[in-house]
Amino acid sequence: MLWYKVWLETRARFLISLVGMTALCAYRVYDGNHSASSSIPISYRYFILHSGQQLLSVMWLVAVTLLMMGGLLQEKVTGSASFTLALPVSRARMMKVRICAGLMQSALMIVVPWTAMYAASYFSGPAHSLDQVLFYVVLLAGGGAVFVGTALLISSLVEGTYTAPMISAGIVLACGNAPKSLAFLNPMDFIGGRDYLGPDNLSNGPIPWGHVAAYMSVAALLIVASVKVLERRDF
Amino acid sequence: MSSPTVIETMGLSKLYGRSHAVRNLNLTVRPNRITAFLGLNGAGKSTTIRMLLGMIMPSEGSGTVLGRRIDDPAESVALRRDVAYVSEDKRLYNYMTVEQMIRFTSGFVPGWREDVATALLRRYELPAGRKVRHLSKGMHTKLALLLAIARSPALLILDEPSEGLDPRGVEQLLETLVAQCAEGTSIFFSSHQIEEVERISDQVCVIHHGRLVMDAALDELRESWRRVDVVLPGGAHVGDFEMQGVERVHTRGKQMSVVASGNVDAIITRASESGATAIDVTPVGLREIFLQTIDLDTSGEN
Repeated sequence: MLWYKVWLETRARFLISLVGMTALCAYRVYDGNHSASSSIPISYRYFILHSGQQLLSVMWLVAVTLLMMGGLLQEKVTGSASFTLALPVSRARMMKVRICAGLMQSALMIVVPWTAMYAASYFSGPAHSLDQVLFYVVLLAGGGAVFVGTALLISSLVEGTYTAPMISAGIVLACGNAPKSLAFLNPMDFIGGRDYLGPDNLSNGPIPWGHVAAYMSVAALLIVASVKVLERRDF
Repeated sequence: MSSPTVIETMGLSKLYGRSHAVRNLNLTVRPNRITAFLGLNGAGKSTTIRMLLGMIMPSEGSGTVLGRRIDDPAESVALRRDVAYVSEDKRLYNYMTVEQMIRFTSGFVPGWREDVATALLRRYELPAGRKVRHLSKGMHTKLALLLAIARSPALLILDEPSEGLDPRGVEQLLETLVAQCAEGTSIFFSSHQIEEVERISDQVCVIHHGRLVMDAALDELRESWRRVDVVLPGGAHVGDFEMQGVERVHTRGKQMSVVASGNVDAIITRASESGATAIDVTPVGLREIFLQTIDLDTSGEN
Protein backbone atom coordinates (compact mmCIF):
# COMPACT_ATOMS: atom_id res chain seq x y z
CA MET A 1 0.00 0.00 0.00
CA LEU A 2 2.95 2.35 0.56
CA TRP A 3 3.87 1.82 -3.11
CA TYR A 4 0.31 2.70 -4.02
CA LYS A 5 0.58 5.92 -1.99
CA VAL A 6 3.93 6.91 -3.48
CA TRP A 7 2.63 6.25 -6.98
CA LEU A 8 -0.50 8.37 -6.46
CA GLU A 9 1.58 11.09 -4.84
CA THR A 10 4.21 11.32 -7.57
CA ARG A 11 2.57 10.08 -10.74
CA ALA A 12 1.57 13.51 -12.09
CA ARG A 13 5.07 14.95 -11.55
CA PHE A 14 6.70 11.80 -12.90
CA LEU A 15 4.56 11.32 -16.00
CA ILE A 16 4.64 14.99 -16.99
CA SER A 17 8.42 15.01 -16.57
CA LEU A 18 8.90 11.75 -18.45
CA VAL A 19 6.70 12.66 -21.40
CA GLY A 20 8.07 16.20 -21.61
CA MET A 21 11.70 15.12 -21.42
CA THR A 22 11.22 12.31 -23.92
CA ALA A 23 9.44 14.53 -26.43
CA LEU A 24 11.93 17.39 -26.14
CA CYS A 25 15.00 15.16 -26.31
CA ALA A 26 13.66 13.22 -29.31
CA TYR A 27 12.79 16.46 -31.09
CA ARG A 28 16.22 17.93 -30.34
CA VAL A 29 17.94 14.95 -31.94
CA TYR A 30 15.53 14.78 -34.89
CA ASP A 31 15.79 18.52 -35.49
CA GLY A 32 19.54 18.41 -34.99
CA ASN A 33 19.86 16.04 -37.93
CA HIS A 34 18.24 18.55 -40.27
CA SER A 35 20.08 21.62 -39.02
CA ALA A 36 23.48 20.14 -38.18
CA SER A 37 23.90 17.75 -41.10
CA SER A 38 23.86 20.54 -43.72
CA SER A 39 26.36 22.84 -42.01
CA ILE A 40 28.48 20.69 -39.73
CA PRO A 41 27.91 17.09 -40.85
CA ILE A 42 30.99 15.74 -39.11
CA SER A 43 29.70 16.98 -35.78
CA TYR A 44 26.33 15.35 -35.96
CA ARG A 45 27.18 12.36 -33.79
CA TYR A 46 28.84 14.62 -31.28
CA PHE A 47 25.87 16.94 -31.46
CA ILE A 48 23.28 14.28 -30.68
CA LEU A 49 25.41 12.67 -28.04
CA HIS A 50 26.61 15.77 -26.29
CA SER A 51 23.75 18.17 -26.88
CA GLY A 52 21.14 15.51 -26.23
CA GLN A 53 22.84 14.52 -23.01
CA GLN A 54 23.16 18.14 -21.95
CA LEU A 55 19.48 18.85 -22.53
CA LEU A 56 18.45 15.62 -20.82
CA SER A 57 20.75 16.28 -17.86
CA VAL A 58 19.35 19.73 -17.17
CA MET A 59 15.75 18.53 -17.40
CA TRP A 60 16.52 15.38 -15.43
CA LEU A 61 18.12 17.32 -12.57
CA VAL A 62 15.10 19.61 -12.33
CA ALA A 63 12.74 16.63 -12.51
CA VAL A 64 14.48 14.53 -9.83
CA THR A 65 14.78 17.56 -7.56
CA LEU A 66 11.02 18.02 -7.74
CA LEU A 67 10.33 14.29 -7.61
CA MET A 68 12.36 13.73 -4.45
CA MET A 69 10.53 16.51 -2.64
CA GLY A 70 7.66 15.28 -0.51
CA GLY A 71 7.78 12.75 2.28
CA LEU A 72 6.95 13.26 5.92
CA LEU A 73 8.26 16.81 6.30
CA GLN A 74 6.23 17.95 3.33
CA GLU A 75 3.23 16.11 4.79
CA LYS A 76 3.78 18.02 8.02
CA VAL A 77 3.29 21.21 6.03
CA THR A 78 0.21 19.90 4.23
CA GLY A 79 -1.23 18.47 7.45
CA SER A 80 -1.33 14.76 6.67
CA ALA A 81 1.82 13.69 8.57
CA SER A 82 -0.15 12.73 11.69
CA PHE A 83 -2.27 10.33 9.68
CA THR A 84 0.77 8.75 8.04
CA LEU A 85 2.70 8.42 11.28
CA ALA A 86 -0.25 6.76 13.01
CA LEU A 87 -0.17 3.90 10.50
CA PRO A 88 1.42 0.69 11.76
CA VAL A 89 4.53 1.18 9.65
CA SER A 90 8.02 2.24 10.66
CA ARG A 91 9.43 5.49 9.31
CA ALA A 92 12.36 3.57 7.86
CA ARG A 93 10.00 1.41 5.79
CA MET A 94 8.13 4.45 4.55
CA MET A 95 11.41 6.03 3.52
CA LYS A 96 12.66 2.86 1.82
CA VAL A 97 9.58 2.66 -0.37
CA ARG A 98 9.85 6.33 -1.23
CA ILE A 99 13.56 6.02 -2.04
CA CYS A 100 13.10 2.89 -4.16
CA ALA A 101 10.22 4.46 -6.07
CA GLY A 102 12.24 7.65 -6.56
CA LEU A 103 15.27 5.77 -7.83
CA MET A 104 13.17 3.70 -10.23
CA GLN A 105 11.43 6.79 -11.57
CA SER A 106 14.77 8.60 -11.88
CA ALA A 107 16.21 5.65 -13.81
CA LEU A 108 13.21 5.54 -16.14
CA MET A 109 13.67 9.25 -16.79
CA ILE A 110 17.14 8.46 -18.12
CA VAL A 111 16.40 5.28 -20.05
CA VAL A 112 13.18 6.34 -21.80
CA PRO A 113 14.41 9.71 -23.16
CA TRP A 114 17.71 8.15 -24.27
CA THR A 115 15.80 5.36 -26.01
CA ALA A 116 13.73 8.02 -27.76
CA MET A 117 16.88 9.94 -28.75
CA TYR A 118 18.47 6.79 -30.09
CA ALA A 119 15.34 5.92 -32.07
CA ALA A 120 15.08 9.48 -33.43
CA SER A 121 18.70 9.49 -34.57
CA TYR A 122 18.34 5.99 -36.02
CA PHE A 123 15.37 6.97 -38.14
CA SER A 124 16.52 10.46 -39.08
CA GLY A 125 20.14 10.01 -39.99
CA PRO A 126 23.48 8.64 -38.86
CA ALA A 127 22.90 6.79 -35.62
CA HIS A 128 25.46 6.59 -32.87
CA SER A 129 26.35 3.30 -31.27
CA LEU A 130 24.47 1.73 -28.39
CA ASP A 131 27.76 1.62 -26.46
CA GLN A 132 27.94 5.40 -26.61
CA VAL A 133 24.37 5.67 -25.37
CA LEU A 134 25.12 3.27 -22.54
CA PHE A 135 28.20 5.32 -21.67
CA TYR A 136 26.14 8.48 -21.20
CA VAL A 137 23.38 6.64 -19.38
CA VAL A 138 25.90 5.39 -16.83
CA LEU A 139 27.43 8.86 -16.42
CA LEU A 140 24.02 10.41 -15.80
CA ALA A 141 22.91 7.67 -13.44
CA GLY A 142 26.19 7.72 -11.49
CA GLY A 143 26.67 11.47 -11.18
CA GLY A 144 22.93 12.11 -10.95
CA ALA A 145 22.55 9.80 -7.96
CA VAL A 146 24.38 12.44 -5.89
CA PHE A 147 21.66 14.96 -6.74
CA VAL A 148 18.93 12.43 -5.93
CA GLY A 149 20.52 11.86 -2.52
CA THR A 150 20.99 15.60 -1.95
CA ALA A 151 17.34 16.36 -2.78
CA LEU A 152 16.20 13.56 -0.48
CA LEU A 153 18.35 14.77 2.42
CA ILE A 154 17.18 18.34 2.01
CA SER A 155 13.56 17.20 1.91
CA SER A 156 14.23 15.43 5.24
CA LEU A 157 15.90 18.44 6.84
CA VAL A 158 14.05 21.48 5.58
CA GLU A 159 10.37 22.23 6.10
CA GLY A 160 8.31 24.35 3.76
CA THR A 161 6.65 23.83 0.42
CA TYR A 162 9.12 25.98 -1.50
CA THR A 163 12.18 26.15 0.74
CA ALA A 164 13.43 22.59 0.17
CA PRO A 165 13.13 22.63 -3.65
CA MET A 166 14.72 26.11 -3.75
CA ILE A 167 17.73 24.91 -1.73
CA SER A 168 18.04 21.78 -3.87
CA ALA A 169 17.84 23.84 -7.05
CA GLY A 170 20.45 26.20 -5.58
CA ILE A 171 22.85 23.29 -5.06
CA VAL A 172 22.32 22.14 -8.66
CA LEU A 173 23.00 25.69 -9.89
CA ALA A 174 26.10 25.97 -7.70
CA CYS A 175 27.44 22.72 -9.14
CA GLY A 176 26.67 23.97 -12.65
CA ASN A 177 28.72 27.11 -12.01
CA ALA A 178 31.51 25.58 -9.90
CA PRO A 179 35.12 26.54 -10.75
CA LYS A 180 36.82 24.32 -13.31
CA SER A 181 39.53 23.53 -10.77
CA LEU A 182 36.93 21.55 -8.84
CA ALA A 183 35.69 19.68 -11.89
CA PHE A 184 37.09 16.37 -10.63
CA LEU A 185 34.78 16.64 -7.61
CA ASN A 186 31.78 17.94 -9.46
CA PRO A 187 29.13 15.39 -10.42
CA MET A 188 27.70 17.91 -12.87
CA ASP A 189 30.91 17.85 -14.94
CA PHE A 190 30.96 14.08 -14.72
CA ILE A 191 27.42 13.85 -16.09
CA GLY A 192 28.34 16.04 -19.10
CA GLY A 193 31.07 13.56 -20.06
CA ARG A 194 33.37 16.18 -21.57
CA ASP A 195 36.42 14.39 -20.20
CA TYR A 196 35.53 11.20 -22.00
CA LEU A 197 33.87 12.19 -25.28
CA GLY A 198 34.37 15.29 -27.41
CA PRO A 199 34.05 16.61 -30.94
CA ASP A 200 37.36 14.99 -31.88
CA ASN A 201 36.98 11.93 -29.76
CA LEU A 202 33.75 10.09 -30.46
CA SER A 203 34.96 6.62 -29.64
CA ASN A 204 34.16 5.98 -26.04
CA GLY A 205 36.63 4.16 -23.88
CA PRO A 206 35.86 2.01 -20.85
CA ILE A 207 33.15 3.31 -18.54
CA PRO A 208 34.77 5.07 -15.54
CA TRP A 209 33.37 2.66 -12.99
CA GLY A 210 35.64 3.98 -10.26
CA HIS A 211 34.12 7.44 -10.51
CA VAL A 212 30.64 5.99 -10.79
CA ALA A 213 31.20 3.92 -7.65
CA ALA A 214 32.52 6.99 -5.80
CA TYR A 215 29.48 9.10 -6.69
CA MET A 216 27.13 6.21 -5.91
CA SER A 217 28.78 5.88 -2.48
CA VAL A 218 28.27 9.58 -1.78
CA ALA A 219 24.63 9.20 -2.87
CA ALA A 220 24.20 6.17 -0.60
CA LEU A 221 25.60 8.14 2.37
CA LEU A 222 23.21 11.00 1.69
CA ILE A 223 20.28 8.58 1.47
CA VAL A 224 21.20 6.78 4.69
CA ALA A 225 21.64 10.16 6.42
CA SER A 226 18.17 11.26 5.30
CA VAL A 227 16.61 8.05 6.70
CA LYS A 228 18.42 8.53 10.03
CA VAL A 229 17.40 12.18 10.24
CA LEU A 230 13.76 11.34 9.68
CA GLU A 231 13.79 8.43 12.13
CA ARG A 232 14.92 10.72 14.93
CA ARG A 233 12.74 13.68 14.14
CA ASP A 234 9.78 14.74 16.29
CA PHE A 235 6.50 15.37 14.50
CA MET B 1 -8.21 -11.29 30.27
CA SER B 2 -8.03 -7.61 29.37
CA SER B 3 -5.10 -5.47 30.51
CA PRO B 4 -5.80 -3.35 33.62
CA THR B 5 -4.73 -0.24 31.71
CA VAL B 6 -4.75 0.75 28.05
CA ILE B 7 -2.50 3.75 28.60
CA GLU B 8 0.00 4.18 31.38
CA THR B 9 2.73 6.78 31.62
CA MET B 10 5.42 6.98 34.26
CA GLY B 11 7.10 10.35 34.75
CA LEU B 12 6.60 11.18 31.08
CA SER B 13 8.20 14.48 30.13
CA LYS B 14 8.92 16.44 27.00
CA LEU B 15 11.27 19.37 26.95
CA TYR B 16 11.59 21.90 24.15
CA GLY B 17 14.71 23.82 24.97
CA ARG B 18 14.19 24.76 28.62
CA SER B 19 10.43 24.70 28.41
CA HIS B 20 8.46 21.69 29.58
CA ALA B 21 5.59 20.80 27.22
CA VAL B 22 4.82 17.78 29.42
CA ARG B 23 6.19 17.42 32.93
CA ASN B 24 6.44 14.20 34.90
CA LEU B 25 3.07 12.93 33.70
CA ASN B 26 1.67 9.86 35.42
CA LEU B 27 -1.45 9.00 33.49
CA THR B 28 -3.55 5.88 33.73
CA VAL B 29 -6.36 5.14 31.30
CA ARG B 30 -8.48 2.10 32.01
CA PRO B 31 -10.08 -0.09 29.34
CA ASN B 32 -13.66 -0.16 28.08
CA ARG B 33 -14.48 3.39 29.00
CA ILE B 34 -14.46 6.84 27.49
CA THR B 35 -11.74 8.97 29.02
CA ALA B 36 -11.65 12.69 28.32
CA PHE B 37 -8.36 14.55 28.34
CA LEU B 38 -8.94 18.20 29.14
CA GLY B 39 -6.63 21.16 29.25
CA LEU B 40 -6.21 24.72 28.07
CA ASN B 41 -4.44 25.48 24.81
CA GLY B 42 -0.78 24.56 25.15
CA ALA B 43 -1.40 22.46 28.26
CA GLY B 44 0.37 19.46 26.69
CA LYS B 45 -2.55 17.35 25.46
CA SER B 46 -1.41 16.94 21.85
CA THR B 47 2.22 16.48 22.86
CA THR B 48 1.20 13.69 25.23
CA ILE B 49 -0.89 11.98 22.57
CA ARG B 50 1.93 12.27 20.04
CA MET B 51 4.36 10.73 22.50
CA LEU B 52 1.93 7.85 23.06
CA LEU B 53 1.92 7.18 19.32
CA GLY B 54 5.68 7.46 18.77
CA MET B 55 5.53 10.71 16.81
CA ILE B 56 7.53 12.51 19.49
CA MET B 57 10.21 10.86 21.61
CA PRO B 58 9.90 11.55 25.35
CA SER B 59 12.71 13.54 26.96
CA GLU B 60 12.26 11.61 30.20
CA GLY B 61 10.06 8.89 31.59
CA SER B 62 8.28 6.17 29.73
CA GLY B 63 4.87 4.74 29.05
CA THR B 64 2.90 1.90 27.61
CA VAL B 65 -0.10 1.70 25.32
CA LEU B 66 -1.92 -1.64 25.33
CA GLY B 67 1.05 -3.02 27.21
CA ARG B 68 3.63 -1.97 24.62
CA ARG B 69 6.37 0.55 25.28
CA ILE B 70 5.95 3.85 23.50
CA ASP B 71 9.67 4.62 23.36
CA ASP B 72 10.60 1.40 21.56
CA PRO B 73 10.26 1.89 17.77
CA ALA B 74 9.36 -1.74 17.07
CA GLU B 75 6.77 -1.86 19.85
CA SER B 76 5.42 1.49 18.72
CA VAL B 77 4.68 0.03 15.27
CA ALA B 78 3.04 -2.99 16.89
CA LEU B 79 0.83 -0.89 19.17
CA ARG B 80 -0.34 1.22 16.23
CA ARG B 81 -1.91 -1.93 14.74
CA ASP B 82 -4.45 -1.86 17.56
CA VAL B 83 -4.75 1.88 18.03
CA ALA B 84 -6.61 4.23 15.72
CA TYR B 85 -5.90 7.93 15.90
CA VAL B 86 -7.69 11.01 14.68
CA SER B 87 -5.40 13.98 14.99
CA GLU B 88 -6.20 17.59 15.70
CA ASP B 89 -5.24 18.34 12.11
CA LYS B 90 -7.58 16.10 10.17
CA ARG B 91 -6.17 16.78 6.74
CA LEU B 92 -5.46 13.69 4.68
CA TYR B 93 -3.85 13.02 1.30
CA ASN B 94 -5.12 15.69 -1.07
CA TYR B 95 -4.17 13.67 -4.13
CA MET B 96 -6.37 10.69 -3.20
CA THR B 97 -10.11 10.27 -3.54
CA VAL B 98 -12.23 9.22 -0.57
CA GLU B 99 -12.38 5.70 -2.00
CA GLN B 100 -8.60 5.57 -2.45
CA MET B 101 -8.09 6.75 1.13
CA ILE B 102 -10.30 3.92 2.36
CA ARG B 103 -8.54 1.34 0.17
CA PHE B 104 -5.12 2.63 1.26
CA THR B 105 -5.90 2.57 4.99
CA SER B 106 -7.61 -0.83 4.88
CA GLY B 107 -4.40 -2.32 3.47
CA PHE B 108 -2.61 -1.81 6.79
CA VAL B 109 -5.29 -3.25 9.03
CA PRO B 110 -6.03 -6.98 9.25
CA GLY B 111 -9.27 -6.38 11.15
CA TRP B 112 -10.64 -3.77 8.76
CA ARG B 113 -14.46 -3.67 8.89
CA GLU B 114 -15.66 -3.13 5.34
CA ASP B 115 -19.28 -3.17 6.54
CA VAL B 116 -18.54 -0.39 9.04
CA ALA B 117 -16.72 1.66 6.39
CA THR B 118 -19.63 1.29 3.96
CA ALA B 119 -22.19 2.17 6.63
CA LEU B 120 -20.26 5.25 7.78
CA LEU B 121 -19.64 6.35 4.20
CA ARG B 122 -23.40 6.39 3.71
CA ARG B 123 -24.18 7.87 7.13
CA TYR B 124 -21.67 10.68 6.79
CA GLU B 125 -22.74 11.25 3.15
CA LEU B 126 -19.16 11.20 1.92
CA PRO B 127 -18.70 11.23 -1.87
CA ALA B 128 -16.50 8.18 -2.61
CA GLY B 129 -15.13 9.48 -5.90
CA ARG B 130 -14.28 13.00 -4.76
CA LYS B 131 -10.68 14.05 -4.22
CA VAL B 132 -9.81 14.78 -0.59
CA ARG B 133 -8.66 18.28 -1.57
CA HIS B 134 -12.23 19.08 -2.58
CA LEU B 135 -13.81 18.00 0.72
CA SER B 136 -15.10 20.53 3.24
CA LYS B 137 -13.50 20.74 6.70
CA GLY B 138 -16.39 18.80 8.20
CA MET B 139 -16.05 16.08 5.58
CA HIS B 140 -12.32 15.81 6.32
CA THR B 141 -13.19 15.18 9.95
CA LYS B 142 -15.85 12.62 9.04
CA LEU B 143 -13.50 10.78 6.70
CA ALA B 144 -10.78 10.72 9.37
CA LEU B 145 -13.31 9.27 11.82
CA LEU B 146 -14.45 6.67 9.30
CA LEU B 147 -10.85 5.57 8.69
CA ALA B 148 -10.27 5.26 12.42
CA ILE B 149 -13.49 3.51 13.38
CA ALA B 150 -13.51 0.98 10.51
CA ARG B 151 -10.18 -0.31 11.83
CA SER B 152 -12.12 -1.76 14.80
CA PRO B 153 -9.30 -0.72 17.12
CA ALA B 154 -8.82 -1.78 20.72
CA LEU B 155 -8.09 1.85 21.55
CA LEU B 156 -9.32 4.95 19.77
CA ILE B 157 -7.39 8.16 20.42
CA LEU B 158 -8.95 11.39 19.22
CA ASP B 159 -7.55 14.89 19.42
CA GLU B 160 -10.34 17.48 19.28
CA PRO B 161 -12.60 15.15 17.27
CA SER B 162 -15.59 17.48 16.99
CA GLU B 163 -13.63 20.42 15.62
CA GLY B 164 -15.04 21.45 12.26
CA LEU B 165 -18.26 19.48 12.63
CA ASP B 166 -21.70 21.04 12.44
CA PRO B 167 -24.19 20.27 15.27
CA ARG B 168 -25.55 17.28 13.39
CA GLY B 169 -22.04 15.98 12.80
CA VAL B 170 -21.26 16.40 16.49
CA GLU B 171 -24.34 14.37 17.39
CA GLN B 172 -23.31 11.62 14.97
CA LEU B 173 -19.80 11.65 16.42
CA LEU B 174 -20.97 11.36 20.02
CA GLU B 175 -23.38 8.54 19.13
CA THR B 176 -20.61 6.74 17.27
CA LEU B 177 -18.18 7.04 20.17
CA VAL B 178 -20.69 5.72 22.68
CA ALA B 179 -21.53 2.82 20.34
CA GLN B 180 -17.84 2.06 19.81
CA CYS B 181 -17.25 1.98 23.55
CA ALA B 182 -20.21 -0.34 23.98
CA GLU B 183 -18.58 -2.69 21.47
CA GLY B 184 -15.43 -2.84 23.59
CA THR B 185 -13.26 -0.07 22.21
CA SER B 186 -11.50 2.07 24.80
CA ILE B 187 -11.67 5.74 23.89
CA PHE B 188 -9.26 8.48 24.92
CA PHE B 189 -10.03 11.92 23.56
CA SER B 190 -9.01 15.48 24.09
CA SER B 191 -11.53 18.25 23.76
CA HIS B 192 -12.32 21.83 24.59
CA GLN B 193 -16.03 21.14 24.32
CA ILE B 194 -16.92 20.53 27.95
CA GLU B 195 -20.58 19.85 27.19
CA GLU B 196 -19.59 16.99 24.89
CA VAL B 197 -17.21 15.62 27.48
CA GLU B 198 -19.92 15.78 30.11
CA ARG B 199 -22.34 13.88 27.90
CA ILE B 200 -20.23 10.86 27.02
CA SER B 201 -17.21 10.54 29.31
CA ASP B 202 -16.72 8.05 32.10
CA GLN B 203 -13.39 9.42 33.28
CA VAL B 204 -11.91 12.91 33.15
CA CYS B 205 -8.21 13.73 33.21
CA VAL B 206 -7.09 17.36 33.34
CA ILE B 207 -3.63 18.47 32.32
CA HIS B 208 -2.26 21.91 33.10
CA HIS B 209 1.19 23.24 32.24
CA GLY B 210 2.16 19.68 31.29
CA ARG B 211 1.14 18.15 34.63
CA LEU B 212 -1.84 15.98 35.48
CA VAL B 213 -3.98 17.93 37.92
CA MET B 214 -7.09 15.77 37.96
CA ASP B 215 -7.97 12.16 37.24
CA ALA B 216 -11.46 11.24 38.38
CA ALA B 217 -14.59 9.43 37.30
CA LEU B 218 -17.20 11.84 36.00
CA ASP B 219 -19.88 10.31 38.23
CA GLU B 220 -17.69 10.86 41.28
CA LEU B 221 -17.14 14.47 40.30
CA ARG B 222 -20.86 14.99 39.86
CA GLU B 223 -21.50 13.32 43.17
CA SER B 224 -18.88 15.13 45.21
CA TRP B 225 -18.64 18.68 43.81
CA ARG B 226 -21.22 21.10 45.17
CA ARG B 227 -21.79 24.80 45.40
CA VAL B 228 -23.09 25.91 48.80
CA ASP B 229 -24.65 29.39 48.77
CA VAL B 230 -25.32 30.78 52.19
CA VAL B 231 -26.68 34.02 53.57
CA LEU B 232 -24.97 35.10 56.79
CA PRO B 233 -26.72 38.13 58.40
CA GLY B 234 -23.84 38.56 60.83
CA GLY B 235 -21.32 38.86 58.02
CA ALA B 236 -19.23 36.27 56.23
CA HIS B 237 -15.83 35.19 57.50
CA VAL B 238 -13.88 33.30 54.87
CA GLY B 239 -11.58 31.83 57.48
CA ASP B 240 -14.48 29.95 59.03
CA PHE B 241 -14.78 27.87 55.90
CA GLU B 242 -11.14 26.92 55.42
CA MET B 243 -11.64 23.19 55.71
CA GLN B 244 -11.06 20.00 53.79
CA GLY B 245 -12.90 19.85 50.45
CA VAL B 246 -13.39 23.60 50.08
CA GLU B 247 -11.90 24.69 46.77
CA ARG B 248 -13.05 28.29 46.60
CA VAL B 249 -14.90 30.75 48.81
CA HIS B 250 -16.44 33.87 47.35
CA THR B 251 -18.13 36.52 49.49
CA ARG B 252 -20.32 39.44 48.57
CA GLY B 253 -21.76 41.34 51.47
CA LYS B 254 -23.77 38.90 53.55
CA GLN B 255 -23.70 36.26 50.85
CA MET B 256 -21.11 33.58 50.61
CA SER B 257 -20.58 31.02 47.90
CA VAL B 258 -18.49 27.95 48.67
CA VAL B 259 -17.40 25.58 45.91
CA ALA B 260 -16.41 22.24 47.38
CA SER B 261 -15.09 18.99 46.01
CA GLY B 262 -16.37 17.12 49.07
CA ASN B 263 -17.16 17.38 52.78
CA VAL B 264 -20.39 19.23 51.95
CA ASP B 265 -22.17 18.11 55.14
CA ALA B 266 -19.45 19.69 57.27
CA ILE B 267 -19.72 22.93 55.27
CA ILE B 268 -23.48 23.01 55.82
CA THR B 269 -22.98 22.37 59.53
CA ARG B 270 -20.40 25.16 59.74
CA ALA B 271 -22.78 27.51 57.89
CA SER B 272 -25.58 26.68 60.33
CA GLU B 273 -23.28 27.25 63.28
CA SER B 274 -22.31 30.61 61.81
CA GLY B 275 -25.96 31.67 61.81
CA ALA B 276 -26.82 31.21 58.17
CA THR B 277 -30.42 32.11 57.41
CA ALA B 278 -30.42 30.40 54.00
CA ILE B 279 -28.39 27.51 52.67
CA ASP B 280 -28.69 26.44 49.07
CA VAL B 281 -26.75 23.42 47.77
CA THR B 282 -26.50 22.94 43.98
CA PRO B 283 -24.47 20.63 41.74
CA VAL B 284 -21.41 22.03 39.99
CA GLY B 285 -20.97 21.54 36.24
CA LEU B 286 -17.85 20.10 34.71
CA ARG B 287 -16.95 23.47 33.17
CA GLU B 288 -16.69 25.03 36.60
CA ILE B 289 -14.86 22.04 38.05
CA PHE B 290 -12.37 22.24 35.20
CA LEU B 291 -11.80 25.98 35.55
CA GLN B 292 -11.59 25.68 39.32
CA THR B 293 -8.99 22.94 39.05
CA ILE B 294 -6.92 24.96 36.60
CA ASP B 295 -7.14 28.11 38.76
CA LEU B 296 -6.17 26.19 41.87
CA ASP B 297 -3.17 24.71 40.13
CA THR B 298 -2.12 28.11 38.80
CA SER B 299 -2.41 29.74 42.24
CA GLY B 300 -0.50 26.80 43.73
CA GLU B 301 2.31 27.37 41.22
CA ASN B 302 2.41 31.06 42.05
